Amino acid sequence: MRLFVIYTVDGITNGMVYAAVALALVMIWRATRIINYAQGAMAMFTTYIALVVIRHGAPYWLGFLVALATGLVLGAVTERLLVRPVESRPPLNAVILSLGVLILLEAVAPMLFGGQTQSFPVPVSNIDFVVGTTSLPVSPFAVFTVGAVLIAMLLLFLVFQRTTLGLRMRAAAFNPEIARILGIRVGRMLTLGWGLAALLGALAGMLAAPAVYLYPSNMDEVLVFGFTGAIIGGLESPVGAVTGAVGVGLALSYVSGYIGADLAPLGGFVILILVLMLRPQGLFSFGRQRQV
Amino acid sequence: MNSLLRRFTFVRHGLFFLGLAVVLLILTSFVFDSYTNYNVTEVAIFAISAAGLTVLTGINGQVSLGHGALMMIGAYTTSVLLTWHPDLPLVLMLIASIVSTGIAGAIVGIAGARLRGPYLAGATLALAVALPQVPSHFASVFGGNQGLSVSPPTPPAFLGTSFAPEQWLAWITLAAAVITFFVLANLVRSATGRRFRMVRDNEVAARLSGIDVARTQVLAFVVSAACAGLAGSLFAYWVTVTSPSGFTLNLSLSLLTAIVIGGLGSLSGAVLGSFIVVYLPVWTGGFASSLNLSSNIANNVPLAIYGVVLIVAILVFPRGVAGGVASIVHGVRRAAGSNRRAGVLPAAPQAPAQ
Amino acid sequence: MLEISDLTVAYGGVIALDQVSLSVPEGSITAVLGANGAGKSTLVRTISGLVKPRRGSVMLGDEQLVGRSPEAIARLGVGHVPEGHGIISELTVDENLRLGGLWRRDRADQRVAIEEAYELFPPLRVRRSVHASNLSGGERQMLSIGRAMVARPTALLLDEPSLGLAGGLLAQIMQRLVVLVTERNLSVLLIEQNARSALSVADQAVVLSLGKIELRDSAERLAGDDALRHAYLGF
Repeated sequence: MRLFVIYTVDGITNGMVYAAVALALVMIWRATRIINYAQGAMAMFTTYIALVVIRHGAPYWLGFLVALATGLVLGAVTERLLVRPVESRPPLNAVILSLGVLILLEAVAPMLFGGQTQSFPVPVSNIDFVVGTTSLPVSPFAVFTVGAVLIAMLLLFLVFQRTTLGLRMRAAAFNPEIARILGIRVGRMLTLGWGLAALLGALAGMLAAPAVYLYPSNMDEVLVFGFTGAIIGGLESPVGAVTGAVGVGLALSYVSGYIGADLAPLGGFVILILVLMLRPQGLFSFGRQRQV
Repeated sequence: MNSLLRRFTFVRHGLFFLGLAVVLLILTSFVFDSYTNYNVTEVAIFAISAAGLTVLTGINGQVSLGHGALMMIGAYTTSVLLTWHPDLPLVLMLIASIVSTGIAGAIVGIAGARLRGPYLAGATLALAVALPQVPSHFASVFGGNQGLSVSPPTPPAFLGTSFAPEQWLAWITLAAAVITFFVLANLVRSATGRRFRMVRDNEVAARLSGIDVARTQVLAFVVSAACAGLAGSLFAYWVTVTSPSGFTLNLSLSLLTAIVIGGLGSLSGAVLGSFIVVYLPVWTGGFASSLNLSSNIANNVPLAIYGVVLIVAILVFPRGVAGGVASIVHGVRRAAGSNRRAGVLPAAPQAPAQ
Repeated sequence: MLEISDLTVAYGGVIALDQVSLSVPEGSITAVLGANGAGKSTLVRTISGLVKPRRGSVMLGDEQLVGRSPEAIARLGVGHVPEGHGIISELTVDENLRLGGLWRRDRADQRVAIEEAYELFPPLRVRRSVHASNLSGGERQMLSIGRAMVARPTALLLDEPSLGLAGGLLAQIMQRLVVLVTERNLSVLLIEQNARSALSVADQAVVLSLGKIELRDSAERLAGDDALRHAYLGF
């Protein structure tokens, strides 16, 4: 029973990191019908920048902010310079383009920051809380992780649902042509959307790095698990993406706890296939058939 | 008339690939040194796998980000069988790998036939990440992270004792590549190939004209996986150690890079792309060491170039480099009054039968 | 005044609009009639900037619209009620209305304009927090016109507003439109296949056929002349 609780807490903590990635993917998918395979690599890159800042003696929080800010810029610049030209082209072009960005970032990172695996600091202890003599299966960093992602989601929700900027971004995503004839600068909204998504990815990168360490491909698996969660959730729905990603986190945690850590990714794959066999559009899709 | 034309194409392909085989035989025997043969073998292995991916992604329109995992199945089939029975002949190993990977491809294809776009890409991506973990877990069968060692095929006695093993493997691999391309070139030109393309271009129209879309997609997956299996088996002989680290996500992405650089949907493009993907690290490695660059930089220059090339290829040549060349050739041909379709096949039009 | 001159549009090699010239004075409605594929929608989409013309000019007052982006054209005062109403069904009625003038600086007047839209089409007010996907066809058309009006346009383009509407409801909406035109001094371009409905409210009318203006006259005369009506409009 105690093990089960530990696995559950771990699963939720990891799942929230995947959820941040999943949500970033869904934001971009809804706005531009593109899956950003470079989402994880971008997060890796911004996490390296944070590490440089922290290694130069700056406090963790400055590094944290720098990572989020670089994420925003990196996402926006990628959309404006690289993605914009392929938005109206066949979907495969965007797939290859974002894979190109992924490969490029994973090649440039070791050139700039060194290729060896590096440890990454935590802002608060990652040793489990102790009450009296019993240790709880939760660490302050786990609480921070879950809290940070929840706050980020809440802020995004408020921006999208409660501000005119969010209304503009939603209109641009739902129907770009109509948005344009209503005077909305759709291009800017897409750039901003990519920026915000990359910011969310950068947050995931900062939260994942203490556990998975920092090396050029450290976010590959996180991306795949986040993507798996987003697909299970149906790609269209932010709620679905978060639910799917937390589900993936839990499943992986149980598989690696009860069966073997090596098999966790295989477990993720099997769950993905099972869900897609039952519902090829994911669990939270509206049944709209999209052929992309 | 139609069947006559088809037979004509078949003969033309046959002559072309026979000529190609002779040229390759001469090159590997008398021109190349053993290091070149070693690299040429890698190009051929890559090309076999990339050709399979071309059929799947370029011609049938299904994106696979997990072809490295399929190659891994082929490599492990060969390696595990050889661990059990070291004396089994190579041809049997190749066939076993083709069959096992083909079956795996059928399973992935059936699971994937209902999936479109990002859903299929996501599933194959998950496969690419998940599969390499299996050997680590079942170490008793697959040798864990150390992997299984495979001894390279020994040249038959009649070639003499001094015959280089690299050359023998080069012969085998190139023969396999020539046969694969011959089969694929004919497949692409056949009614089946036309169905592949119709499903890619317009699924609804394909369905309306009586094509079983799901079956076509599964078939494309099987063909593609069989190629990956063959390539994987040869890869095992070539590396001599089959371990999970040989089949990372990077392998899958390199294959995709190869077919995009070469021009999506073109078999000759798959060869060109494989050549570039294999030789780029060789060239940049030499260049980097002559500049005394640190290993962190030198080792990653090829990857950075792939990344840049992918991005530039998409922004500048949406159809890939060979696609760009093919459209120029097509334009010239049209200007010359011929209405042959360009871009699907390699240099076959220059074959003597024309 | 919306002044279209010598407007030519081609898709690939196919000419969709052929040297169309047309002026829509302020405070009046010009109906553009014609069969399917005559180029009516192309005309409004070109004015809105969604389609780039091969040649010609579109002036709104002193501003040249050709060559500008759709969003810039909207901000210059062109309201567009697109074919099939163009409501964003994932958003609520209120959000759709707000979208109409989001780019405007004058926030206070924006609120007034939204209020006016609700007064113009009272059925929308009760349904303001409902997702637009739940609206009836008539309500959607009201929402689309209301949304265009929120931006306080000087020119209004309506693309087949009658599509899928019952006669009574259509007449009601058209009556509101006529009131708006005089109140706001609008230049209205009304694209219609339903010639009878369009001619009942329009001041002048043109008949478009295969991308060319076949006929232009006052709406009254066109509606009154049986021969013309039969020949060009089929009723």
